[in-house]
Amino acid sequence: MTPAIANYLDSIYDSLYAAIRELNLQMPKNRQIPPLPQTALFGDNSYLDSLGLANFIVLAEQKLEQNFGVTVDLTQDNPFSDESGHFRTLGTLALYTASLLKAKNRE
Amino acid sequence: MNSSSTELYIISDFNLEAFARQIENDSAQPQVRAKSAPHGQVFPSLLKAETKASQQEFCLVWTQPEGVLPSFRKALQLQPFAEQDLWSEVRHFSDCLKQCCSRFRAVFVTSWALPSFQRGYGLLDFQQRSGLRRLLLEVNLLLAKELESSSGTYLLDSTAWLQAAGSKAWSPKLWYLSKCPFGNEVLQSAIRDVKAAIASVSGSYRKLIVVDLDDTLWGGVVGDLGWQSVAIGGHDYRGEAFADFQRALQTLRRRGVLLAIASKNQEEIALEVLRQHPEMVLRLDDFAAYRINWNDKAANIVDLAAELNVGLQSVVFLDDNPVERARVRQALPEVLVPEWPDDKTLFASELLRLTCFDLPQLTSEDASRTELYIARRQRESAKGTFASFDEWLHSLHTILVVEELNDSNLPRTVQLLNKTNQMNLATRRLGEAELRQWLRAGNRKLWTFRVKDDFGDSGIVGIVSLQIDGAEAQIVDFVLSCRVMGRRIEEAMIAVCLGHARALGVERVRADFAPTAKNRPCLDFWLGSGFAHDQDKNSFSWDLAKLYPAPPAVEILCDDPALLRDRESANRALAHVLPD
Repeated sequence: MTPAIANYLDSIYDSLYAAIRELNLQMPKNRQIPPLPQTALFGDNSYLDSLGLANFIVLAEQKLEQNFGVTVDLTQDNPFSDESGHFRTLGTLALYTASLLKAKNRE
Repeated sequence: MNSSSTELYIISDFNLEAFARQIENDSAQPQVRAKSAPHGQVFPSLLKAETKASQQEFCLVWTQPEGVLPSFRKALQLQPFAEQDLWSEVRHFSDCLKQCCSRFRAVFVTSWALPSFQRGYGLLDFQQRSGLRRLLLEVNLLLAKELESSSGTYLLDSTAWLQAAGSKAWSPKLWYLSKCPFGNEVLQSAIRDVKAAIASVSGSYRKLIVVDLDDTLWGGVVGDLGWQSVAIGGHDYRGEAFADFQRALQTLRRRGVLLAIASKNQEEIALEVLRQHPEMVLRLDDFAAYRINWNDKAANIVDLAAELNVGLQSVVFLDDNPVERARVRQALPEVLVPEWPDDKTLFASELLRLTCFDLPQLTSEDASRTELYIARRQRESAKGTFASFDEWLHSLHTILVVEELNDSNLPRTVQLLNKTNQMNLATRRLGEAELRQWLRAGNRKLWTFRVKDDFGDSGIVGIVSLQIDGAEAQIVDFVLSCRVMGRRIEEAMIAVCLGHARALGVERVRADFAPTAKNRPCLDFWLGSGFAHDQDKNSFSWDLAKLYPAPPAVEILCDDPALLRDRESANRALAHVLPD
């Protein structure tokens, strides 16, 4: 990981965790989603159903726009592939987002 | 989720599951259990007969105009359509809402809105007859008019939720991913308003604002500056902001909210501002009561609430001083103490933003509530000049006007049923539709009681309902506003009710007391009412072979000859037992 991406990552996690916190308003007290890199976003171990995931995507895009001042589309690049989809965990999503932002910076 | 939570049935033409989840997990009162009808099934859900009505159930109907009005969908694509068809569709929707209303305690319907990116005819959109913005106003207005006469149906303003969310209000991505067009901030505003509406219909609205003076009602400390120099009105931004805050308070007063003062000040000095400052909007007569002294404000609030016969759960306290706010919050958790901005220019908008004053009906009694309390204050102060309580009662020349339930007194009747705690025999909470339904059985009657005296008209303050089953009858509701409690109105109400029962050949009347945390005064009254008390059943009974003595200090006016005859005989009987 380059130093530039590492710098991005803290802010990206801030944005994603803020989205998780807002999404948790919809979740019962005993099913709160932990804001951790290993938290699964889809698949058998996920806390989210399809509606929760849709809401999370929109919230995450809004928080990233607030923090970085650019719009990002997280639904590109086969996001829900079991092997390589960036929505496997919060950690994989953060890395994917960092690469998106880096590409935006280069534009 | 606790068992006392309220049920909300959600009907929508889009996916409101996220709203349902969020309102269930929202910790603010009232707690809500949400159940969603399948989205997109608006009309079948509105008309579905098997949805059971219960006293706990509310319904939210949130639709987009194009989802329920086919002609509006055409308009949205700038296709030709017949205006008459559109109006008929609005009326049909409104008829379905009215049908739905009979199954719920209340139905909340959101006004229709359009996303900001829908520009219709652009610059000409308001001028074209089929312009989208213009049509939107017209369909909303028609819906409001159609629902005007439908009790138990309330229109909620969704535009305010969209404005609060700004550019995040509509989310095309969310629409394509989940079939919900609205972002989370819209849902959160909607939850706040829906909960406020449920609380309002359930009678949990606030009715007394206790306000501080220095730096809250006006700028500066009057004890230091003198009444001439406090900041209020004038050509000064701070003074204008305080004047607007006072206007906002006055607006709420006109909606039936009582105002009172709790201030740490020297009374005469502080009152000079209210009496003399030419720019003051509020005057002493705008306040139902005041405590201006150096005592603890929490103690003063308790005192004010007791004087005005208002429960602490009905009180809101406004003070610029965070220490005073913290003290009242800690000492009186039932009192609502909103966080208050440091910036004085935000006072008026913060006050008007509060949803806790929303009433489900506005009656003439609400509009003149402060005057009623001021009249009561004068009445009480006159009390000291009489030798006995009964002599004082006679001097008031109290008149009790009895009316059967009708369309004009129905809103106030429902308000009394839902709001009265202390003098309430059964504490039944019913909406207008439910009460009408209950009275549909031919053996049930309900009377309202209006009280007038030399100090003014207190409006409708009491209700009694009676269920007659052959020779037995039961007083089901016995409700009296605390404003007139203890003035022999209670006995007069019973005399009216028993007179009616006797005229119908009833031999015995029973009243079952249902205890709550707040209706001990009602039990105390019934224990002293002369009715026989069955302790095991908490039931009171009266044998109609005996006349119930109506209090001589209360003149009863009603148009039922049977009641009048009975009252005359009761008075004759009473003349034998009362000393001259």
